[in-house]
Amino acid sequence: MTSVGNLQLSSDMASSLLPEMIMLLGLIAIVVIPNLGDAKFRIPLTSVRVPVLLGGSRFDLTNDPRMPNRISNITFAIAFISSLMLISEPSKELGGVLMADGFSRLFSTMFLGALLLVSIATTHRLPAKVNARIPEESDSEAVFDRKISVLINNRRQVDFYILLIMVGLGMSMMAMATNLFMLIVCIELASLSTYVLVAFHKEASSGGEAGAKYFIVGSVASAIGIYGMSLLYLWAGSLDLDILREKWQLMDGVDPFAAFGIGMMLVAFGFKVSAAPFHLAAPDAYSGAASQVSGLLATASKAMGFLALFRVLVMITVPDGSEALWMVTLGIFAILTMTWGNLAALTSENPKRMLAYSSVAHAGYMLAGIAVVGSGITGTNESSIILTAVTFHLVVLVLFKLGAFLVLTLLETEGSGHKMEHLHGLGRRDPLIAGSMFLFVLSLAGVPPLSGFLSKLLMINGIVSSSAGTGISSSEDILSWAESVDPMFWLAGAIVLNSALSLFYYLRVGLVMFFEEPVVDRPLKTAPSLRMAIFVCAILTVLCGIGPVSEWILDLVNGAIDSLMYE
Amino acid sequence: MISDPLTVITIVPLAVSLVLLILPKISGSAEGLARASRAISMGVSLAMLAITTMIFFGEIGNVDWTDYNSGYSLTNDAFALIPSIGVHWKVGADALSFPMIWLTTLLIPISMLVEWDAKRGHLFHPLILMMEGALIGVFVSLDVFVFYAFWELTLVPMFFLIMVWGGDDRKYASMKFFIYTFTASVIMLIGILVMYFYTPDVASSGTITGHSFDMAVMISSSDYIPSEGLRHLVWILLLIGFATKMPSFPVHTWLPDAHVQAPTAGSMLLAGVMLKMGAYGFLRIAVSAFPESTVAFIPLLIFLGMASLVYGAWVCMGQTNLKRMVAYSSVSHMGLIFLGIATMQPLGIAGALFMMFAHGIISPLLFAVAGAFKHHYHTLEIGSMRGIAHHSPWLAAHMMLGWMASLGLPLLAGFVAEVTILIAFWMSFGWLVLLPALTLIITAVYYLTSMQRTIFESNDPHQGKLPDTLHGEEPRDITWHENSGMIILGVFTIIFGIFPFIFWDMMSEWSSGFLIDTLVEAMQSEGVKP
Repeated sequence: MTSVGNLQLSSDMASSLLPEMIMLLGLIAIVVIPNLGDAKFRIPLTSVRVPVLLGGSRFDLTNDPRMPNRISNITFAIAFISSLMLISEPSKELGGVLMADGFSRLFSTMFLGALLLVSIATTHRLPAKVNARIPEESDSEAVFDRKISVLINNRRQVDFYILLIMVGLGMSMMAMATNLFMLIVCIELASLSTYVLVAFHKEASSGGEAGAKYFIVGSVASAIGIYGMSLLYLWAGSLDLDILREKWQLMDGVDPFAAFGIGMMLVAFGFKVSAAPFHLAAPDAYSGAASQVSGLLATASKAMGFLALFRVLVMITVPDGSEALWMVTLGIFAILTMTWGNLAALTSENPKRMLAYSSVAHAGYMLAGIAVVGSGITGTNESSIILTAVTFHLVVLVLFKLGAFLVLTLLETEGSGHKMEHLHGLGRRDPLIAGSMFLFVLSLAGVPPLSGFLSKLLMINGIVSSSAGTGISSSEDILSWAESVDPMFWLAGAIVLNSALSLFYYLRVGLVMFFEEPVVDRPLKTAPSLRMAIFVCAILTVLCGIGPVSEWILDLVNGAIDSLMYE
Repeated sequence: MISDPLTVITIVPLAVSLVLLILPKISGSAEGLARASRAISMGVSLAMLAITTMIFFGEIGNVDWTDYNSGYSLTNDAFALIPSIGVHWKVGADALSFPMIWLTTLLIPISMLVEWDAKRGHLFHPLILMMEGALIGVFVSLDVFVFYAFWELTLVPMFFLIMVWGGDDRKYASMKFFIYTFTASVIMLIGILVMYFYTPDVASSGTITGHSFDMAVMISSSDYIPSEGLRHLVWILLLIGFATKMPSFPVHTWLPDAHVQAPTAGSMLLAGVMLKMGAYGFLRIAVSAFPESTVAFIPLLIFLGMASLVYGAWVCMGQTNLKRMVAYSSVSHMGLIFLGIATMQPLGIAGALFMMFAHGIISPLLFAVAGAFKHHYHTLEIGSMRGIAHHSPWLAAHMMLGWMASLGLPLLAGFVAEVTILIAFWMSFGWLVLLPALTLIITAVYYLTSMQRTIFESNDPHQGKLPDTLHGEEPRDITWHENSGMIILGVFTIIFGIFPFIFWDMMSEWSSGFLIDTLVEAMQSEGVKP
């Protein structure tokens, strides 16, 4: 047993940090393995040469530019499986700042699943040339430059996957954090890596611009959040979530330090979940980044923001049975976010921007759920349903939102995918891919029996059963009934109306895919592993909406929420 | 013999069609499968017809369909699909749904037969098979969530049938069809969800929401909806969904476009079964759950029914396109169903049910005739082709039989339905019956003129006038498979006209039982005479 400060490492603890350990090993492997070569070290004064393996001319296997992709796929796959196995383990406190329980493991499984899909999809999005030629003296200048750029592109492979694993580490640790400091550090680890990933789309000038924009706005948001955290520290003298919660419950009236601290953290997390009015950088970032990275932002990164909101808002500041301070603000934000997102998506001519705005709208639906939890009208049971719904939505969002972005990734491999026209006639060019895309948008719209419907139904059910139950049963006409329900009821109404509004742009995707003539009438690229990822998403989108798989996942989520609420 | 026949006839067509559609796409070695898919589809649909026919004769399940009190027959053990929100795979049939199920299994092989030589048959016939599974799923499911899922699923094959095999303007028609019916069913979904949120907690243990989508529980939820205004609102939402499918005036405008552009088999299924889904769902969910609202809105139902009846018939007189005329005649006949329900008489409701069934036999015949017409004369204009009795006596005979059945000639299936609805209307509303009765004259006018102009009228008594679209070629006679499909439909039209009691008995038992069980109380409280 070794100990580093307060943190004690034992085999027991290592087993509950297994996914993180695997990612750490993967990180080392991705740095070391591509550099393995036949270098030998001659022991001085003898002729004995000892192979040191690092350096020299590389082996064929390690020189393969597809190697980083393979390592990252394997790393994420093993980490994903091990994290899945750990979900049902009893919860365990680690070093006072981390807590490995069902809730955190569920989130880290989801993060790792999303990252696994992204990593698999990137195989064809950033294709590596296996036998890149070395430029020679006799080459013409153009050929020389092309060869150089292929070589550079091949080297870029490593950077991309290193960043991806860093995102995974940050997110997965963040899920377990029970200390605000740890939480922010892990979020920053993940965020900084995503800023670079957004800018990684070097083929288009929009990539760098998007990355810079996302970085600047993101760091301002983080700075505000950290300032809020420091105010909380001033007020409570600790950053431990449990202590903060106790302090909040004992608080007499509202302490300005605490209120401002929470409000500022709300801004930081609001940026992460791309809630209006902090969402303005999101559409630019999503449309500038490579599609699979946009998918990552719209699913895992957003889920990270919601996780932080759970930890900070729901766990610290919801006093039992009374209204939380931020309830009205969040309710207004929720309605603003979903309406703004849907209206902006209606007019988008770029499918990536459309999906970005739709992701803003989805953030609005989930915020509405959290606002109702904060309104204090929900019983424990309803709170649990709403939080289950939000978490389940975040989980299945990985399937259909990322799936939709992966379809755009497939289009990007042929240089298109950033205009609605590029989707034209997809139904004729590739019926299976178009069918999957149609399934994804239908699920985003919340059409039964797909998984998007199930989560929306649970959410609306939670809101309605906690707010409409107050309606007076003797009211005969519709107006007096409408006056008798709790104001929070109208959040459910807003979700329903917005879902109806969103149908227009989701169905439009289907219409252009099946009705319009294709601009280029050649079949799509084969890209087997990318296709496989898309089909996995499509099949799971259906299975998670109906049947035993959906039940299994709902049970997992429900158990996780229980472990969060009654820890 | 088969322990759960209703599940079998729903799942088998869906599964087979998915295999036939997807497998050849994935593996190149499955080309043989694509070639055989037409025969496989036909075989499966015939097997389904055999099963439902055996159910009817009591060989499977030994059901007495005329016994209303036994409730649903052929039910299965509910299998949980999404227990958390109370969704189960629960099927069953009664006298309301069984005639529709049998009709579906009858029409599917016939429509395949009529378009036996369809282009790209390896996709066409599996799509029709998928349609069969989805349609039967709508009629058998006793869980509103599953009902809704199948309801939406029927859109998919029909959408592709219109879009890929349709006429020149198919893009517009299929888009309009999809958007119209999809929007309507989303509105219906909102109504269903409101009902869901009020379902009582008792029967739904094991759910995390505390509600259930079970049809029986959902229907009882109206007792728990606190406000009468809200109940009326939900009823209206459901009505919008169902009336659009039926379709009733003023939400019928998708139908003529969809019909004119759809391939023959698509039109046959659309008119034969898909429109009946609207009437079925209306009776099964809206009327059963909200008897008071139904009684309160009888004037609305009469208005919608009369408007569809008169408007549909009136517009028919001005049509020059054969298929468009038949489509509007469907709108007109569907109006009679609302009138039959609005009478609140056992006879009227039974008449509406028989209308659903009879129209389901007759209108496919009409569309098969129109389709054959288009196929062989390359036109649908009513005056452009005259004297087909010379060229194609078989087609002329089918047309005559179909047209006569549809305008309500005694001893043919349509007559039974029309006359019972009119009698019931007279019993409820007295001399107001003259309004629908006189409209039937308009029906006779447009059918007889169109028939006279196409079959008989010719400048030369021994020679027909051929349309310009043939460019002087001699038209071929109808093919054997079109002919045999139409003969089968014609034979059933006559059989159910002479022996209506085959299905009439169970329908009238169901109607009186249904009226006593659900509607009488509401009628008394609203002061409506039974």
